[in-house]
Order: sequence, then structure tokens, then C-alpha cells
Amino acid sequence: MITNPIGTASLAKREIFRFLSVATQTVFPAILSASLFMFIFGVAIGNRIDFTSAQVSYFSFIVPGLMTMHLISTSYENTSFSLFLGRWHNHIQELLLSPLSYFEMVLGLLAGGVMRGVVVCTGIYLVSLMFGNFPALHPLYLLYFMVMVSVIFSCIGMLAALWAEDFNMLNMWNIYLIIPLVLLGGVFHPVHLLPQIVQDISLFNPMFYLVQGIRYSVTGVSDISIVISALVTLVMAAVFFNVAVFLFKIGYKLRT
Amino acid sequence: MRDSKFAIEIKNLSKYYGNLAALKDVSFQVKRGDFFAFLGPNGAGKTTTINVLTGLSNYQSGDVRIFGYSTTKDYIQARRLVGLCAQEFNFDPFLTIRNLLVFQAGYFGILPPKAKRRADELLERFGLYEKRNAKHRTLSGGMKKRLLLCRALIHEPEIIILDEPTAGCDLELKFQIWNYLKELNQEGKTIFLTTHYMEEAEKLCKTIGIINSGNIVRIGEKSQILQDKSLQDVFIEVTGLE
Repeated sequence: MITNPIGTASLAKREIFRFLSVATQTVFPAILSASLFMFIFGVAIGNRIDFTSAQVSYFSFIVPGLMTMHLISTSYENTSFSLFLGRWHNHIQELLLSPLSYFEMVLGLLAGGVMRGVVVCTGIYLVSLMFGNFPALHPLYLLYFMVMVSVIFSCIGMLAALWAEDFNMLNMWNIYLIIPLVLLGGVFHPVHLLPQIVQDISLFNPMFYLVQGIRYSVTGVSDISIVISALVTLVMAAVFFNVAVFLFKIGYKLRT
Repeated sequence: MRDSKFAIEIKNLSKYYGNLAALKDVSFQVKRGDFFAFLGPNGAGKTTTINVLTGLSNYQSGDVRIFGYSTTKDYIQARRLVGLCAQEFNFDPFLTIRNLLVFQAGYFGILPPKAKRRADELLERFGLYEKRNAKHRTLSGGMKKRLLLCRALIHEPEIIILDEPTAGCDLELKFQIWNYLKELNQEGKTIFLTTHYMEEAEKLCKTIGIINSGNIVRIGEKSQILQDKSLQDVFIEVTGLE
């Protein structure tokens, strides 16, 4: 429950202000990189790929994958960097000394990650429209998935920031766990084209459900039911949010 | 704020870092409106006590209260009443010094117009107003000290905890800080000060507590503690320094 709305809003504002003040490093690179992927893989190569079995063009297929990939990485980077920097410089004390509840602290930090993820994801989507992509078929689903996916990875970013002892450890989760799982979750390929055994393994990859949810929201096509995707996303968001609040409550690597 | 006679109450506080006991069954109180000096050699447990009081450290046993509010169970109410001027410069590098204070005020539930007014007042009072749009990296050591103090005072706390606030300050700044602390104390604020300067404690404080190796070795009113001796002599006597 929020008992200090001004305090929570102030923290949220600081987090959003921080990433917007360095937008050339936090927003535009992801949009630029996704645009290049769209141009090279979607337009230049995609037009030569026979993709009729997937019911959409290859370009329309990869756009939601790219949106998810950058939504995940920017949300994660925002909270992990912000919280880790706070621990590193010890200005996290500003927060720990304040009359914000642990729930409110997590919520405030989350705001920056969610906002950055949604801004980047929306930016990529808008660029895709300029390349001739079709408007999203289910905009409300898209909003739901954008927010929930960024909640999940903003929370995971906080967990990584609490766990890490240096910047190498901070990047490890992203490089060795998140990015491989996202790529295997069907960013560039329809999972139903893979051998049955790999398809079965994909069902255990949580990223698969997130990618499919956003793909369905934009194209109306998915390898799995939208309800299952939405539920898995909701459960993951609830679990990681509560874990983050719990770690703040016990002061894991925050209090001596 | 509860109608408690004591600003700070610590009962049977023990704190361990692994097997090392940093605080051993520490108990003492600081009266509302007191000017309390908390002295001790390096590593005696002063900063650990401050960290426990402000919620920056967990502890294994005991009860710690700020104006009657438990720092663990009622931590939100307790933190509202405390302002900490830490020893180290720990500022958000992305913010200008004015924004730093405005955001900090926001965490304490102060709306932006009032937060901005309060930030400007403090920056002017401590001669930092001209630097309001600068980042803290560009400030001198003395200016950073003043900024720490501004941050601790931004929400008008009832207790101001200062961890060696004048360490490394020149005389002018030292006097400025002393005068301001005296003013705040006269307004009824409780001051909890740690320092290595005996002269500072002797000049400013009404009550003195001395901690050594995690134990309170002497506590009481200044006149009671000194009894015609200098504070330095008392300090050497009770801490066993040679």
C-alpha cells in the first residue's frame, strides 16, 4: 500500500529524470539498433524469405521480437544500473534514510525501468510503421505486455544490482542468461518450425511466453495461447516484484 | 510525533559483524532537545550506533526508539524525524545540488514548491546558492560538507545526527556549522554529534557519552563528566589511551 505518494512520485520522477537526462545513451541506441535489424533482416533479407507458414511477412514477424528484446534489456539495464550505482556511490542511503516503505522504494525504482522500457519499445514500434509495418492488432494487449514485461525485468535488474559486487557481475545476468533465453524464445524464428524436442524445451523458457504475447498483440499470430502468455507474464511479474520488496525489507546488501 | 521524554532510547543493543561484537549490550537515552556528544576512538562503535539509529544497519538484539517509535517496527515514522549528516560524500552524480535537495525533500512527502523554497533557503544559508545548478563533483570539500548538512536538514527533522561534521573544515566553516547547530538546538531540535575534536564537544554539548570497544564507558551531563578536568583528560582516562 502507498502511504507516502509524494515520496514515491518523487523517487519515480528522479528515476525517469535520470534516464531522460542521458537519452542519447539510454533511449536512442536501442531504437537505432532495432531499426538496423529491421532494415537488414526485415527488409533486405526478409523479402527473400518464404515465410508463408508463419501467416505474416518476416518483417512483421521480427518487429515484435525486437520490441520484446529491447523492452527486456532496457528495463533491466535501467534499474540494475541505477540501484547498483546507488550502492557503489552509497547514495542509496538517501533512499534508505527516507520514510518510504520498502514497497514504495521498489515501486519508485520500478517506474524508471518501466518508463524506459515502454518508451524504447514504443519507439521501435513507431519506426517499424515507417518501414511499412501494420498497426498493432491488439493495442490494449500490447500495453499490458509492455508494462508487465518491463515490470518483470526491472525487478530482475534490482535483484542483479543487489547481488552484484562489481560491474562485471552486474552484466553477467544479461549476457549469459537473459539475452540467450530471449533469442531462444523466438525473437527471430517461429518456434513451431523447430524440431519437436526443441519446441518442447521452449515451453520451459519463460521468455518464450513474453515474446509470444507481444507478437500476438502486434500481429495476431502466436505459437501459444494469448491467455497462457498473459498469465505466465502476470505470475512472473508478481513473483519478482515480491522478491525485490522482500530483499529491500531484509536489507540484503543494503544494510550492514 | 509521540509525546516521548526521550528523543533517542537505546536498550540492550548488541550488534555483531560476523563474530566481531561492534556494540555490546549498549543502553542509553538522549533527552528531547539535548545537545549530545557521542565520543570514542576510531572503531569504538560510534558510526555503527548511528547506522542502527537511522536504519542503515540491522542489529541482533535490543530495542532502538526515536521519540518512542521503534526504528524497525515503526521505521517510517522514526525516519521522518531524523536527519543524518554522514561522514562521507554520497551524492547522486546525475543531479544538480538543488535537484538533489528537492528530490530528497520529496521522499519526505514535501511537495515540489515547498521543497524548492526550502532548498533555496538552505543553499543561501550555507553559501551554496550560486552553485545550485552545479553537480556535486564540481564543489570543494568544504562545500560538499555544507551540502551534506543541507541534505540532512531539508525535511526539518527533529533530531539531527552528525557524524564528524567538521572533520577537514577550515575555521570559518567550523564556526558557521557550530553557530547553526546552536541555533537549531535553541529552536528545540535534538542534536546528536560525534566528533574527534574534544574542544567541539566541550563547547557545544550539554550531555556527553563515551563509547569504547562497543561499550558505553561514561555518560552524563557535561558538568558531571568533567568535574574540573578537561574533556580530553576524561576521554584518555576512560578509554585507556596512553
